Amino acid sequence: MNKKRISILLSLLVLASMLLGACATAAPAAEPAAPAATTEAAAEAATEAAVEAATEAAAAPAEGDVAIRWRTRPDNQEEANVYKGISDELDAQLEGISLAYEPGGSEGASYQDQLKTEIANGTAPDVFWIPGTDVGDFAKRGLILNMADLAAGTDGFTVDAFYPGPMEYLTYNPESGDSSALWGLPRDVSTFVLYYNKDLLAEAGAADPAELAAEGKWDWDAFVDVASKVRGLGSDIYGYGANAWWGPYGTWMNAAGGGFFNADRTACNLNSPESLAGLEFERKLYQDLDVAVPYGEDSEPPFRAGKVGLFQNGRWATPGIRTVDFNWDVVELPKGPAGHAGNWLFWGAYAVNANTQHPEEAWKLVQALTQADTQAKISALGTNIPSRVSKEATDAFLTFTPPANNQAFLNGLNDSATAEGPLWAGNWPAFDAVAGANVQALMTGEKTIDDFAATICDEADKTFSE
Amino acid sequence: MGFLICAVALLQLIGVFAGFDALADRFPRALLPLGVSFIGYLIYVFADRYENYPKRQRSIQNTGKIVMLAGLALALIAVVGWESVPGFIAARLQLPILLALAGSILFGLMTWAMWRHPTALAMNVNNARQEALEGYLFLSPNLIGFLLFLAGPLLLSLYTSFTNWDGFGTREWVGFGNYGKLLNLTFATLTAANQPANQAINVKVYDELARFSLFGSHYLIGATDKLFWIAMRNTLLFGLLVVPLSVLPALGLAAILNSKLPGMKFFRSVYFIPSVAAVVGIALIWQWMYNASVGWINYAILSAANFLNSIFGAAWIAPQPRWLSTSDTALLAIVVMVAWQTIGFNTILFLAGMQNIPKVLYEAATVDGAGAWRQFRNITLPLLGATMVFVLSTTIIASFQIFEPIFIMTNPAGGPNNATLSAVLYLYQNGFQRFNQGYASAIAWLLFVIIFLVTMIQYRRQRNVTYEM
Repeated sequence: MNKKRISILLSLLVLASMLLGACATAAPAAEPAAPAATTEAAAEAATEAAVEAATEAAAAPAEGDVAIRWRTRPDNQEEANVYKGISDELDAQLEGISLAYEPGGSEGASYQDQLKTEIANGTAPDVFWIPGTDVGDFAKRGLILNMADLAAGTDGFTVDAFYPGPMEYLTYNPESGDSSALWGLPRDVSTFVLYYNKDLLAEAGAADPAELAAEGKWDWDAFVDVASKVRGLGSDIYGYGANAWWGPYGTWMNAAGGGFFNADRTACNLNSPESLAGLEFERKLYQDLDVAVPYGEDSEPPFRAGKVGLFQNGRWATPGIRTVDFNWDVVELPKGPAGHAGNWLFWGAYAVNANTQHPEEAWKLVQALTQADTQAKISALGTNIPSRVSKEATDAFLTFTPPANNQAFLNGLNDSATAEGPLWAGNWPAFDAVAGANVQALMTGEKTIDDFAATICDEADKTFSE
Repeated sequence: MGFLICAVALLQLIGVFAGFDALADRFPRALLPLGVSFIGYLIYVFADRYENYPKRQRSIQNTGKIVMLAGLALALIAVVGWESVPGFIAARLQLPILLALAGSILFGLMTWAMWRHPTALAMNVNNARQEALEGYLFLSPNLIGFLLFLAGPLLLSLYTSFTNWDGFGTREWVGFGNYGKLLNLTFATLTAANQPANQAINVKVYDELARFSLFGSHYLIGATDKLFWIAMRNTLLFGLLVVPLSVLPALGLAAILNSKLPGMKFFRSVYFIPSVAAVVGIALIWQWMYNASVGWINYAILSAANFLNSIFGAAWIAPQPRWLSTSDTALLAIVVMVAWQTIGFNTILFLAGMQNIPKVLYEAATVDGAGAWRQFRNITLPLLGATMVFVLSTTIIASFQIFEPIFIMTNPAGGPNNATLSAVLYLYQNGFQRFNQGYASAIAWLLFVIIFLVTMIQYRRQRNVTYEM
């Protein structure tokens, strides 16, 4: 045997060990749930195993268990830790299932964009959370599993246990037009409130919004009065702040009786007189009255720095705001001309990957993640409100203080809140981009309300043909 | 080539490419046995010392072989574990895999046969051909990487640009439909400067892109996709601003850093730091600095105004620009941040170029009475031509591909009112947020054509200018 042959033999053997090393984990991972695994299934299992190995949080599956990966979008590390803890608990509870939790999203990375890319690549988790607005896009393209059959075979399961707004969208079947589908179950719900700096309002001599709300006097005029008084405290102090996305400006439209879409959500409604009245009111806050943190600037840092009187945000902002060193509380949004505050019922759902190898186990996990105990643990952190409608759940939620006035969140939900929802007939991201840019131009004074009204729906309606 | 195609197909089908993480996880287990194998190889080589004692040499060689084979066997066991092998083979007894395996063996044997002496004689192989073949073989790892990971995706995206693929389902051929939608413009003459667009163009198809007056007449331009044109305009404007701002200061800095002043090595490192820092981290820091309410920049302006007011007894009101939230300043704010980050890298390139210029030229110029500025203008600048082209090309290409700072710093990304929407950001939004992979691919190819043309013009210009040293 000469040196050349030895080198060749060496190379071949190293190559063989690398080859087998790369594929070796596939067989054990595929065996338990897919005894008759196809080539694709084996490759899928290899991929899952590879991702699993790379995920620090992944627990080693017990012998014979089905490995299920799941993901949700935590807003902070504390929330990620809670989900990890829940995953470990459920892992012990669910027989025959091993769970691996993957916290999704990070600064600068869009959760949904990454998820879609992974779905296209075949490496997405078995169960994942998606926002309510995205359910339509995911369902129409066959990316999430219709769990109606699995739910029908589950004893004791009923969609009535959850808030009806999200369930209306989650059970909509675009093919038949009825409520025969089940695309997921809501993880939690939330709604807007105004976080307010009690010290700043007292210094400005403004009335306490919670007291005004209790007296039924918390309307747009009272809101402007409070915001203006706070703004009068200094050039770097603002009366009101909100971030630049569809949620905040949508509430002003809703409260004036308007909204994004027509009744059957097949066309733009941003140029209706009611929608324009809401937007015009908001525009005045930014331009004419100049009481608001400049549109497009993140309002949370100045609020936490004690420079903003009223800050509009959802329950998810509570953990961060609990760290401020001034007195604060929350109050519901002020009532508008339509007689209600125009609030949103925000929600997102746990859905099952349409390509999962283990739909039944994934469905079990979705149920476990939305059971009352699990939701109570998340709510205790202060992040969101349980999506199950029950007196026990809401009573427990009220105890998760601060803020003292947790009731404001529940009032917001019960005050004709509009459930956020998917756009079955159009392309929501495209619609959002068109509406968002035009509203921003309006709020920054680059467009008048008349210019906005003249063109917005011609532009936005094109996204219904995409 | 047949062998390579079959081998790659085989590796793909058995899941090797998806299993790199598993490989990285398990392969370290084999390091120790492989070390044993290496010792065996050393023993085998050591036998050469006993060239004059053939019996002893063979004996040592055999020992080496046994140690090597034992080490490799142990390595295989460590990586795989014998219990996995039957399952591994059973799961892969599929027709496509068997076909790929058969192809690999067949083409492999053919390749092996080609190397044999009789085949070489039959095919009239000469040294030149053999060298060429060996050259290609040495090149093959890079060539295969290029084909698989660059040329392949490029061609796939070109094909995708002619389809309506959403990234998940089947691709339907739409011809030049995507390109047509991107580039389609309409022009209309207006009866008055403020005539509504819906009276001049079909607003169900076109959006108003721009209007202008020329010789007393008013015109309107409509586009089927106005965001594409806005993105291209922003990208061009960004390039026009960021290129001079990140090249000219870099040239000046390089001239200073090229001097013999004390501490220059320290400053060379300092200016280079932004170039090696993570762009996401830098963007977040700058976003915080730009915050209109609690940002450091406005705070500095406010403090400076207060200081001056206290000294002069004046009552100047400090401007508080809304850096990232108004259309007037948002793009400029991004330009400043990117230029700040790019200057250091360009400075190092210029510095390297300057240090390649022979000192004798400066000495001769000094003898002839040329001052520092004259020397810089007549010696340094002309002889930096090649470096300048490289710096300009890379900076222009990078500026046309601007994405991360805008994506991170603006809210919503590309805002306010699309003032910072860049071509690559628009591509990303279409491809990964709106399920329009075909459309996004068309944007990518149009951007590629523009970058290619600009770069080609630059290189052609430089080719016509040469200096003899």
